[in-house]
Amino acid sequence: MMDEPIVIENLSKYYNHFLALDNLNLRVARNENIGLLGPNGAGKSTTLKILCGLIRSSSGTVYIDGIDVGKKPEQALSRIGAIVETPEFYQFLTPQETLRYLGRLRGMQGDELKSRIKEVIHLVGLDNWITVKIEKFSRGMKQRLALAQTLLHDPPILILDEPALGLDPRGVVEFREIIAGIGKEKTILFASHQLVEVAQICSEVAIIDHGKLLVYSNIAELEKKYESLENAYLELTGGVS
Amino acid sequence: MSELEKLRVVIGYEFLKHIRRKRLYVILGLALVAELAVIIFVPLLREAGGYPDNIMVMAFFLTVGPSLASLGAVFFAGDAIAGEFESKTGFILFTNPVKRTTLWLGKYIACSIAVTLLIMFSYIITAITLLAIYTEIPFEMYQSFGLALLFGGAFLSVVFFVSSVAKGAMGATVMTLLLVMVLFGIIESILMFTDNPSWFLLSTGGDSIAAVYGEYSVILGEFMPEGRELPFEMETMNIGLAAMAMVVYMVVGLVTSIFISNRRQLA
Repeated sequence: MMDEPIVIENLSKYYNHFLALDNLNLRVARNENIGLLGPNGAGKSTTLKILCGLIRSSSGTVYIDGIDVGKKPEQALSRIGAIVETPEFYQFLTPQETLRYLGRLRGMQGDELKSRIKEVIHLVGLDNWITVKIEKFSRGMKQRLALAQTLLHDPPILILDEPALGLDPRGVVEFREIIAGIGKEKTILFASHQLVEVAQICSEVAIIDHGKLLVYSNIAELEKKYESLENAYLELTGGVS
Repeated sequence: MSELEKLRVVIGYEFLKHIRRKRLYVILGLALVAELAVIIFVPLLREAGGYPDNIMVMAFFLTVGPSLASLGAVFFAGDAIAGEFESKTGFILFTNPVKRTTLWLGKYIACSIAVTLLIMFSYIITAITLLAIYTEIPFEMYQSFGLALLFGGAFLSVVFFVSSVAKGAMGATVMTLLLVMVLFGIIESILMFTDNPSWFLLSTGGDSIAAVYGEYSVILGEFMPEGRELPFEMETMNIGLAAMAMVVYMVVGLVTSIFISNRRQLA
């Protein structure tokens, strides 16, 4: 097993002529929970999308558990659970059917799949909605279902892009508790604008801007140096004179 | 888990989606109404009254149902590829360890099953109607059934191709209908009236579903009032070539759509 399940090497990404990622390097150690911070357009989502095989890099390589995502995406994806942006589900299926579909695509079946679906549905608080078509769901409920599908196959690596988006305050608190609970045994790369959220869930942060890594450090150390995580973020991203 | 097993899973759930959607039942209803309209209006509108003596004439008119059913492919497949990108369902589906080719192929097969069921339904009505009126089913109906399946598959591939390049599902649906029904239709008419072959057009492939029952001039001639003839002459269709063209549309359309979709990024 690799000690660094997420490795990003010299990663660059152009959208036509716009440089979204500029030679980004990042290594995440096993069972670390890393917050990926940065202003809008910094390249956070682009990084996570490349890690999930949704888009291709212009140059550079990303590895999941030592597997090159660009070369063997299916193998790499079998190790991760991901929420990217605000995902949508097939409106005509229920959460139970959706999770059964995704679980079966991941090789799960029978009683194992059945009980695991119940478990994750209970974890995200959708017990009463398990057989209701998703077309009736609010944004927050879909986000809960997204978290359920992320955890369904109990992956060792979680890639989360603004996963609490659309959740009500209670949902946000519950979400943090879930992630904080499972995070001890998983490697998490977690992009967010919510510094409080990141500070509660993660031990380290990587701050990027204009596609470049500005700092990758322990939160406690940043707080010591800049007095608070907020100050560190603002100063590093040019928000404080 | 092998890709073949994953393909089976994708087909199953994609087909479940079709069963849950209203559009399957709307097309089913439209095909039924079209068939009923032929059964009711043909004897009412014929000058001689009653059903035509020639079974081929009635069978010819009853192809309106299967033709509609085949065109139903556009409503199943329009969002098959474009929809994953437009509605962001791809963010969930594509992060699973399954080859995109397996996903597209599974979607294509599920759509094919839905379209096949619709076509079968309309041919069952055709068969029952012909049996009730003429107490027989002409062999040509089976040929027509085969060509309808081929047309459905070819049309589906063209929809998949358009869906793979289109930004949205609605755009893909409208673009395909405009391409096949309007643009190909106009070109086919021009070629037909200028006495040129049009077997290579997909719309001609669609016409072959009815053409197996006899030449248009003979079939339509029997439906004309006594003493009157068709105001134009029509090129006899080469059904074999039209069928071959449909196979090409089916294979090339599907392969191209998979190639393009695999390269498409979910930015």
